[in-house]
Amino acid sequence: MSPWITSGIRIVAPIALAFILGFVLFASAGYDVGEVISGLWQGALAAPGSAEQSLRWAIPLAVISFGIVITLRTGEFNIGAQGQILLGGFGAVSVALLLADWSPYLVIPLALMFGIVFGALWSAIAGVLKVWFNADEVINTLMLNFIAALLIQWVTTGPLKDDATRGETASTPRVDQTFRLSDGAGVSIELIAIVLIAAALAWIIIERSPFGLKSKLVGSSPRVAAWQGLQIKRIHITTYLLTGAFAGLAGALEVLGPSARLVTGATPTLGFTAIVVAIVGMLRVPGALLAALFFGGLQAAILFLPIVSRLPSSGLRIIEGLVALLITAQFVWLRRRRNRRQIMKDGEESLQ
Amino acid sequence: MEQFVVTTIRLSAPLIFAGLGGLFSVRAGIFHIGIEGLMLAGAFVTVGFGTATGSVWLGMAGAIAVNMLLSFVYWLLIDRFKADMIITGLGLTTLCVGGSAFLMNALFNKRGSMMSAVRLPQPVVGPQEGLLAFVSELSLLAWLLPIFVIIVWLILRRSRLGLQIAAVGEYPYAAEAAGVDISRTKLIAMLVTGLCCALAGAELSVGGLAAFSENMTNGRGFIALAAILFGSLEPIRTTLAGLFFGLANAVGINSQIYGGESNIPRQFILMIPFVATMVFVTLRGALSQRRISPGG
Repeated sequence: MSPWITSGIRIVAPIALAFILGFVLFASAGYDVGEVISGLWQGALAAPGSAEQSLRWAIPLAVISFGIVITLRTGEFNIGAQGQILLGGFGAVSVALLLADWSPYLVIPLALMFGIVFGALWSAIAGVLKVWFNADEVINTLMLNFIAALLIQWVTTGPLKDDATRGETASTPRVDQTFRLSDGAGVSIELIAIVLIAAALAWIIIERSPFGLKSKLVGSSPRVAAWQGLQIKRIHITTYLLTGAFAGLAGALEVLGPSARLVTGATPTLGFTAIVVAIVGMLRVPGALLAALFFGGLQAAILFLPIVSRLPSSGLRIIEGLVALLITAQFVWLRRRRNRRQIMKDGEESLQ
Repeated sequence: MEQFVVTTIRLSAPLIFAGLGGLFSVRAGIFHIGIEGLMLAGAFVTVGFGTATGSVWLGMAGAIAVNMLLSFVYWLLIDRFKADMIITGLGLTTLCVGGSAFLMNALFNKRGSMMSAVRLPQPVVGPQEGLLAFVSELSLLAWLLPIFVIIVWLILRRSRLGLQIAAVGEYPYAAEAAGVDISRTKLIAMLVTGLCCALAGAELSVGGLAAFSENMTNGRGFIALAAILFGSLEPIRTTLAGLFFGLANAVGINSQIYGGESNIPRQFILMIPFVATMVFVTLRGALSQRRISPGG
């Protein structure tokens, strides 16, 4: 079997299993599975406006996952995308609110840039602590997520407070209409163009740049990389900056796009889903784009399903959790098959 | 003041139960990021099963059973099927967030939150007023907490199992050479974590309020994980870290209620556990680095 088919099965099988387990649970809780499937189909693609909704969620997922692809290829575990998105949104909204009477041609690029820089610097905190002080990045990025959430809570209830909002949906005032890249639906030529530019950049960084090659070497065999005289610390810091930059861009796009402002409890699961997207996309940019479309559709369906069927949106969270639970597991029959291929290959080599 | 003490204990107790439970896994080398989910599952099943059966003890037994099962699945995935423990742990947490909300809706037809028909007994009746009035508001689990800490300390520091767990986490090859079954030791550690997280969830949901709400742990499992690291993987220090984090949380909440006295926004007080953990993890990382390569 070709390696493409094997790795395809390795991705599709856990997802299929997650859906099957979820449907079994729904059926045993008394829900009509046919109705749920039709609701999923409608919510992701068929119902009017739903394809647009799927795309709306695919946009941030794709952009964030590019950064996570870079981080995972270097062998680092940056789970701080959630906080980096919030900081990116904070950077963008600050520019858009402070420079409200400037020309959009200046403000939009500046807001995007500030979003990218804020996200990158937030991520670099964990990177610097890891590289120079050997501090575990998983726990630090996790902590930074909580600190970012509290920081944004303070920003939206304090310095940049919109008096009409409070509590869980406290938010900043809306940014000026002329600064926005899309309407509330969250899909526009501008946004899609930015995503494609980001994808092209990520692809070049990963597949065609010296950094991509070096970071892959650092990730797969750090010792060899050190012997080759690579500056591992610099590569690691660059990785953290890039990961945060993509997540920060996604946060800025939310603020200038569908949301139009920074909301306290905004998109609480986006950073986590993007990790799953990167893995399902097999740590490659085209794969991540496809996976983002799939999970964007699932996200749209999560918001749509409660309207048409009695199934609460938490039902699809279960499926999302199951996918993450199963996606990295190496199921025995696949491993065995791969071993057999390896054995045959070894045998051929030894005959030569 | 009296209310403040109660709040601190109520906020600390779940952290300590989950932290000491998680300690078993972390010492065995498993960075158990699913603690958050297991706590939530424990809280939900205690309320759900307790309400259905009318007994808080059956509710807790159900929560322990469910958490053991989830822990077993987690162990199966990361030990037998070599899944990534961080991603699988995040998946476990998402599964529990979705699962508890879904089952609350499907079984009890409630959205958002549900009241519990049962609650933990509050065994000690204190004076009506004065400094010691808070004792009558503490649940049985809160009273049992000191005994629990001692038991965990004894197991981890003074028993064969505790030694095996530490060996598996720190020197797996040496442990294996000495005849320790690594997989089995990890399974035991993870089952204990599941059990303790069930207790943590029960204290959270039926220790004071007697209610369950969607995602009611709200990051407490991650704070418990932080307490473990802040406590240098030691039972007593983890307990103290849990108390300290509970105190910081109580101060944050109180500054919200009695706001106006202090100029510090409560969000910055609530940040203390997270910032403290980062500082501590960094210091420890820097020290261990120096030990490995002097002068480097």
